[in-house]
Amino acid sequence: MTGGLLRWGDALIGTLAAAIVLTAFVLAYSPSGDARVLVISQAGAEPRHEPLDRARVLEIRGPAGITRIEIEPGRARCAESPGRQDICEASGWLQAHGEVAVSLPNRLTLQVLGTEPGFDSMHY
Amino acid sequence: MGTPAGDPRAGSDARDRAIAALAAIAIGIQILEAAIPSPVPGIKPGLANIVTLITLLVLGWRAAVAVTLIRVVGSSLLLGTLLSPAFWLSLAGAVASLVLLAALRPFTPRHVGPVGLAIAAAMGHITGQFLLAWAIIIPHPNLPLVLPPLLLAALIAGSLTGILTAQVLADPRIQRHVRKPAPSS
Repeated sequence: MTGGLLRWGDALIGTLAAAIVLTAFVLAYSPSGDARVLVISQAGAEPRHEPLDRARVLEIRGPAGITRIEIEPGRARCAESPGRQDICEASGWLQAHGEVAVSLPNRLTLQVLGTEPGFDSMHY
Repeated sequence: MGTPAGDPRAGSDARDRAIAALAAIAIGIQILEAAIPSPVPGIKPGLANIVTLITLLVLGWRAAVAVTLIRVVGSSLLLGTLLSPAFWLSLAGAVASLVLLAALRPFTPRHVGPVGLAIAAAMGHITGQFLLAWAIIIPHPNLPLVLPPLLLAALIAGSLTGILTAQVLADPRIQRHVRKPAPSS
């Protein structure tokens, strides 16, 4: 019964609406995960901003030794750090906006930032 | 489009009564719907929109505006949300969907049927609500991330209410009360 009631305008509106929904999903969710910048903050020093554009290794000297930071396009990690519990290394690759790795012995935090902030939490 | 059959002033009492009856049905539907628990807050089928669409297609644009505004105010009075954020959100959605329905008015009888109207109205409804929420009620930069699922829900709900509207309009028991039958050309 409803089949005959659809007109071309209905199909057009339906298609347009579907396109809007798809575009909204793509726009809202695609750039959210990309980390663009690594912020290296060390006690007593200015935060350093390193763009995550090409692969390289940084070595940051701290009170307990050297923290080796690996940077790859879109992600970064704490590859080696003097902490005995390997907490900094255990944070793994930082690739979503806001992810953090910390080395307490070297008084160092690493955080990646993207353009679009992701969710912290959602509640109603 | 309205009822070109006859003088619009003639039988305005009957027209007013029809608007009142339709608004009462819409309020009833909206309140029933408010009582149904929803798995996701903010998402509901919007069945009261069926009444707006039927009013639009049978009695015309002005009657649809009247029924919708009476529904928003009347149901908020009964639910106790008058002038609360829920009321403003409801009003913003209603106004936005009415604006879209007005924009589609030139195409209404011939090229766009109830399904297209319902989808447009549902999308307009959620967009209006969202803009109000984002601009005034919860101006949070991350709020747009909630919009895509809401738009998807609106698309689905709009299609459903559109199909239901078409079914209701085709029902002979409804047709009997309709002075001018639903446009079928």
